[in-house]
Amino acid sequence: MGRYLIRRSLFMILVLFVVSLITFIIFVKLPASDPARRAVGRATSPENVEAARIAFGLDKPLYIQYGRFAKGLIPWPGLFLDEDVYYSYANFVPVKEEIFGRLPVTLALAVGAAVCWLMVGIPIGIISAVRRRSIWDRGSMVFALIGVSAPVFWLAYLFLYIFWFRLGWAPPSGIPIGMSVLEAVLTGRFILPWAVLSLTFAAFYARMVRGNLIETMGEDYIRTARAKGLSEKRVIYKHGLRAALTPVVTMFGLDLAGLLGGAFITETVFNLPGIGQYAVNAIFNNDFPSVMGVTIFGAFFIALANLLVDVAYAFLDPRVRYT
Amino acid sequence: MRHYLKVFALVAVLGLVAAACGGDDGGGETGAETGATGGTGETGDIQPGGTLNLAMVGDVSSAFDPQKEYYSVTWDYYRCCLLRTLLSYNGKTTAEGGADLQPDIATALPEISTDGLTYTFTLKSGINYSPPFGDVAVTSGDIVRALERTADPNASVGGYNFYYNVIDGFEAFGAGEADSIAGLETPDDSTLVVTLTAPSGYLPYLFAMPAAAPIPPNGDARMGAADGHTKDYGRFLVATGPYMFLGSENLDFSLPADEQTPVAGYEPGQSIQFVRNPSYDPATDGLRPAYPDAINVTIGGDNNDLYNKVQAGELDALADGIVPPQLLRTYSTDPTLQPLLHIHPSDGVRYVSFNMAAPPFDDIHVRKAFNLALDKAGMRTLRGGESVGEIAGHIMVNSLEDNLLADYDPYATPNSAGDITAAQAEMAQSAYDSDGDGVCDAPECSGILAATDEADPYPEQAALISQNMEPLGLVFDIKSFERTTMYAKCNDPSAQVAICLAPAWGKDFPDGYTFADPLFGSAAIFPSCCNYSLLGASSDLLAENGYSVTEVPSVDEMATAANQQTGDARFQAWADLDVFLMEEVVPWAPYLFDNNVNITSARIVNWSFDQFAGEPAWDQLAIHPDAQ
Repeated sequence: MGRYLIRRSLFMILVLFVVSLITFIIFVKLPASDPARRAVGRATSPENVEAARIAFGLDKPLYIQYGRFAKGLIPWPGLFLDEDVYYSYANFVPVKEEIFGRLPVTLALAVGAAVCWLMVGIPIGIISAVRRRSIWDRGSMVFALIGVSAPVFWLAYLFLYIFWFRLGWAPPSGIPIGMSVLEAVLTGRFILPWAVLSLTFAAFYARMVRGNLIETMGEDYIRTARAKGLSEKRVIYKHGLRAALTPVVTMFGLDLAGLLGGAFITETVFNLPGIGQYAVNAIFNNDFPSVMGVTIFGAFFIALANLLVDVAYAFLDPRVRYT
Repeated sequence: MRHYLKVFALVAVLGLVAAACGGDDGGGETGAETGATGGTGETGDIQPGGTLNLAMVGDVSSAFDPQKEYYSVTWDYYRCCLLRTLLSYNGKTTAEGGADLQPDIATALPEISTDGLTYTFTLKSGINYSPPFGDVAVTSGDIVRALERTADPNASVGGYNFYYNVIDGFEAFGAGEADSIAGLETPDDSTLVVTLTAPSGYLPYLFAMPAAAPIPPNGDARMGAADGHTKDYGRFLVATGPYMFLGSENLDFSLPADEQTPVAGYEPGQSIQFVRNPSYDPATDGLRPAYPDAINVTIGGDNNDLYNKVQAGELDALADGIVPPQLLRTYSTDPTLQPLLHIHPSDGVRYVSFNMAAPPFDDIHVRKAFNLALDKAGMRTLRGGESVGEIAGHIMVNSLEDNLLADYDPYATPNSAGDITAAQAEMAQSAYDSDGDGVCDAPECSGILAATDEADPYPEQAALISQNMEPLGLVFDIKSFERTTMYAKCNDPSAQVAICLAPAWGKDFPDGYTFADPLFGSAAIFPSCCNYSLLGASSDLLAENGYSVTEVPSVDEMATAANQQTGDARFQAWADLDVFLMEEVVPWAPYLFDNNVNITSARIVNWSFDQFAGEPAWDQLAIHPDAQ
């Protein structure tokens, strides 16, 4: 177990370095124009461009440029997202301060949406699987098809327009100035974002649970359970569902981790000041340190979730061993 | 100018939607204000009080640092609310004197020496800073401090300090070669004497810019309150205007800079909150009525959703939004909503820029033929129709020339739709049309390298241009780029881009210099910006960049002479330069003078448009007493 964890942790760091290297190349080396010039804007002087070049460290050799950012990957106080390097030149705030300041909004959005999609997606998947070809099954799969097909941004606009602007049933987008995240949650400011975000995920989960459960219910040990006289309810929930839900754990971990790195579209359309909105702004502003910081942060969450899921898997499924 | 870069994406998308919805019949200025202030309330309705609720789609450009902010929306926040400068503006339209300099901290406009090299400002007394410097009065030394910070390239990253190089010793101080700016003297606390390296009539405008707003002293610190805040003074900004950031009184400048806590009233990317500045004395200020008690600005969100909030009364206006085409149509046709629609020239121009060293645009007849063939009305339709602006017949916006060229267009065509016959007649005079049939037959006219913006509606506009120019035999190899990259390509002579299809420019201050020097001066050629036509390029520079052309026209002398003028002669000089450019040089095909289009909630009365920033004058908007 210990060696497994060490090996996976080292692999996680490797993943982070690869992600950071790719991000660095995309944002610093691939653009057709000079990053320093992009940072200072169109009307400027050569002196200002040069000042920006020095401030960004772009006057230094490539490996030193990358090295400055790579140091910020190390999850150690004083090094992780070091403020001297990971400093936004769009709003002049340390990237770490922005990310951690916005994390509660993203957490509230992601966790709330996750609860919603689990509460909707799993029951629908189960009902659909145990009542195959019934009207419930057909209806559920139509729901899933719509949920999977509808783009999040379109749903977001639609929900806002109908449920806030036209009907007035839900609060408008955004968190009013001075309102805390908790107050926003309690006053329903997250209802529409949760609904939009969870709809797509719930549809995926419903389809996955349905497929897994149908497959599991055809296994020999299910037939054995039935032959032993167990009630159908017990067969489904005690024996069938446990195996069917194991892959859901993996998917859930990755999905939640991905959202913690920022629900880009949902946060942007609903004007939720979370990490996703920050990332979108950073990209539009060519704010490379911020983009790098958010990417590393998101990648860190996903890599960590991968590790946790793999560890949890062995508990859930005795066939899995730490090797 | 940067305003343009930030809002163009939105303009582009919405313009395309408008075109798809019917284009030019949708703009509809009927009933909307088109220049003069259109108050929407009775005199008795205009009373101080209430909170103005605004929104911005994106944040300010440099976190409110006055030396870095190069964004019209922020400039208006400074002018209306936060920062007083030696000179300023009245927050109204050109017709109401909004482009005329007014004394603000200064007692009067500066005294100018007969040789035009020395400007003397006298400061009013009794103008204090916001808390925690509430008992500190503004002095001439504070202006010098601000300009020293402006000269520092590290504190001015992204800013516009190049305009101040005309002050003697400014560049030397910025380069660390001098301990002070030689051209700034303070004989006493209420006098500032500015000495220039050459006569420059635009100098007074520089003292109405935020970069010249005073910074209070703080002990022995060279940069006063801004000391140690080279990167982030914006969040520690000390105000002089009628408003300040919420929580300014809690700033503690006695602490080391890195231990100070920024104001609560500005959360980057999230919100801005202005509250009244208790140190502000309205008796010293005749420019800002400052009706709202507070101004709240949310940052972020979707443009259309935010305008729904304006309609619903959740917001009063957007500072950087683009009114959606369908909403524009509704507000322009519904008589009850028309008073809430506000359309004003924003003093920006859109144009096509020719590289005068690149064939076939090294031939003036080709450039003139292009101007005659261009369907300017079609270009405007693709941007959203009549409401987005007026067809441009020349280069400088009319307010910079006192409307001297308001009706001037040397390439006017019927309905502004282009005139192929006239264009071919012009092309027939070109060396690139060997048989004189009005169609270019030289190989240089095929595969002409053209750069454009990849965002809508520029690709559609590029297609229209190609269609317009086909009868002239001009065939383009159009490359689409992300906007910043497009500008970089157009600016870099070594890229040999022959024609730049999608640039735009807005004034920085209400003077022709802000169009002449940065766009046509030889000093604005790469690595400076933004002389894409290479006017005034030396033969060495042309050769270094691989051009066979050895000479291009220059307007340096004419622009320098114009810059030495003052008063009405100055307007005439800029107009003369504009005419010379349009007829004798032809570096551009200008096609649109942009409008600023806004809608406000029904709560707002006393609408006013600040021509300096090209934005609504927030201090002059009042909230109806019933809605306060």
